[in-house]
Amino acid sequence: MTIRPFRLSVLTLSLFIPAALSAVVLFLVLYSGQAIFFNGLHFITDINWNLGDLYDDPVTVKGVLVPSGANYGIFVFIIGTLASSAIAILIAVPLSVGAAIFLAEAVPPKIRPVLSLLVELIAVVPSVVFGLWGIAVLVPFIGHYLSPTGNGYGLLAASIVLALMITPIIASTLLDSLMQVPKENRESAFALGATHFEVVSKAMMPMVRTTLVGGIVLALGRALGETMAVLMVSGGGINILPTSLFSPISTIASFVVSQLDSAQADPTNMSVRALSEVALVLFLITLAVNAAAKLIASGALNVRNRN
Amino acid sequence: MKFSTKLRRTGVAALAVASLAGFTGTAHAQVDVPLVESGSSLLYPLFNLWVAGYTADHPSADITTTSSGSGAGIAQAIKGLVNIGASDAYLSNTLVKNNPTMLSIPLAISAQAVNYNLPGVTSLNLSGPILAGIYTGKITQWNDPAIAAANPGVNLPAHAIIPVHRLDGSGDTFIFSQFLAFSTPSWAQTLHFGTTVSWPAVTGELGGNGNSGVLAAVKANPYSLGYIGVSYAAKAAAAGLGVAALQDKHGEYVQPTSDTVAAAAASVAASTPADERISMIFSPGVNAYPIVNYEYAIVDSNQQAPAVAEAIRAFLSWAITEGNDPSYLSQVHFLPLPAAVQALSTTQINKIQ
Repeated sequence: MTIRPFRLSVLTLSLFIPAALSAVVLFLVLYSGQAIFFNGLHFITDINWNLGDLYDDPVTVKGVLVPSGANYGIFVFIIGTLASSAIAILIAVPLSVGAAIFLAEAVPPKIRPVLSLLVELIAVVPSVVFGLWGIAVLVPFIGHYLSPTGNGYGLLAASIVLALMITPIIASTLLDSLMQVPKENRESAFALGATHFEVVSKAMMPMVRTTLVGGIVLALGRALGETMAVLMVSGGGINILPTSLFSPISTIASFVVSQLDSAQADPTNMSVRALSEVALVLFLITLAVNAAAKLIASGALNVRNRN
Repeated sequence: MKFSTKLRRTGVAALAVASLAGFTGTAHAQVDVPLVESGSSLLYPLFNLWVAGYTADHPSADITTTSSGSGAGIAQAIKGLVNIGASDAYLSNTLVKNNPTMLSIPLAISAQAVNYNLPGVTSLNLSGPILAGIYTGKITQWNDPAIAAANPGVNLPAHAIIPVHRLDGSGDTFIFSQFLAFSTPSWAQTLHFGTTVSWPAVTGELGGNGNSGVLAAVKANPYSLGYIGVSYAAKAAAAGLGVAALQDKHGEYVQPTSDTVAAAAASVAASTPADERISMIFSPGVNAYPIVNYEYAIVDSNQQAPAVAEAIRAFLSWAITEGNDPSYLSQVHFLPLPAAVQALSTTQINKIQ
């Protein structure tokens, strides 16, 4: 008798998450509809973003009322987002794999919980703290020692800050699953005369490949959507594509934040609709990345099963 | 057993709340309508000083201040989500046409410095056309002939200029781009002015988040320059940044001081229209600093409840009189409204019903 209300309540709760997700997507699509119509495909291929003259009279273009001179192109920000996240992953994966293996294999079991707690603690540091550290330490360092122009803000600073933020995510998921590799696997590899390196690389890492990919996907999700820390160190590039690691960039998420205030004073409301379309693109990119990673992960799984 | 302890605890908490409510109730028999202010981050520190001072005189007042940006302040005031929207920029013609009951009421006067980080240079003259050239990428070197002509006798380095702009929407960008638009026709035709500008592609140009972000970027990058609200003057000086003298309408180079900012305000006071939506940028005054602006309260003159209207009127009237006292304004380097403008603001405040 008590099963039915229980099942009903669990069902309701479980439906809540997909319902909320659908509501967000539906809102984004409906709200940005006019902007999607106005922008067309130019939106993702154009490098020029201009809210237009918000203090002039609005004009009618394609039957839609927009600020005069308005032109919405986000190619620069798509590149900024993908480039900074990709470089962050490139930096973070070796770091976190190394850290996880070190914690699982080289650290005495008594100290391990303390160190792994420290790694997990980095994951919960608020992003604005990373941003402040970036401005105070990282940006001057890059400016003094690495950048040919003396400017430390830009793609590299944003990528390093992102890498630090996502390293603990990958490291702690990987550590958890390394600890769950059956003792027998390890010990039989040792018994066969494998070196410690071979045990880790041949007997343990293949077993945690799926977790590693999963951790990277989680990390990528955070990197793609990170806003505040990136806003503080990226240099806020607009209307210009990055040409080097030291070029100023903007990511999609940080760009939405930086434009939203001005957009709200737009009498035609087209600016806010365009920003909503920007958010939709970020959502689609995140979705695509996740789907691709799921495919890779299941591929990795199949390979392992065949062996 | 457990249940009864829980009940007892809740009971105690309820009693405490009740006694607290009773206490505050008797202490201030007449509680004012709560007001909410939101908007400009430049005005936010001043509003906090004002609310503290106002509440000291009027213990029953209940005013909440938040810093959300000028654009958000305008939008929320129009939607009726906040009682007072704070903005560095006045309402555009279209917004006024669409929302005829919305008022732009000047509360105080602010200014903006162009700060530079130029090793070996302690005094620098700049003009609107030079700045427009720098921010559009036409002037890229510090020893450019145009800059050299404005700075006779100054040893300008042969180094690339790093222009820094605000990357968030900002009243500072509004008044800076307005200075460029009013002083340089080519800027006016192509880039206009606004709280956000579609900055032209200039290699090496940086964006900073907030006045503090621009300050940090100019400090970190030798050979850079940026525009920073005058309320950050002390921090900019502590960071070792220079303040550029800007060319006024008569061709003179003027430093931002209380005298030159007041000269700009005085020269615009007489021509300020009844709705007070006027720019003080590049004003015709003699020895008048060119980047000076009114700081606005954006308020709906058509309030739902008379009590709310009364509370808003009382607070704003206080802000432009007692609140314009140097003891408040000098803390954020603002200047008081000239008498003529104060009278116009009072007329507008009295429209709030």
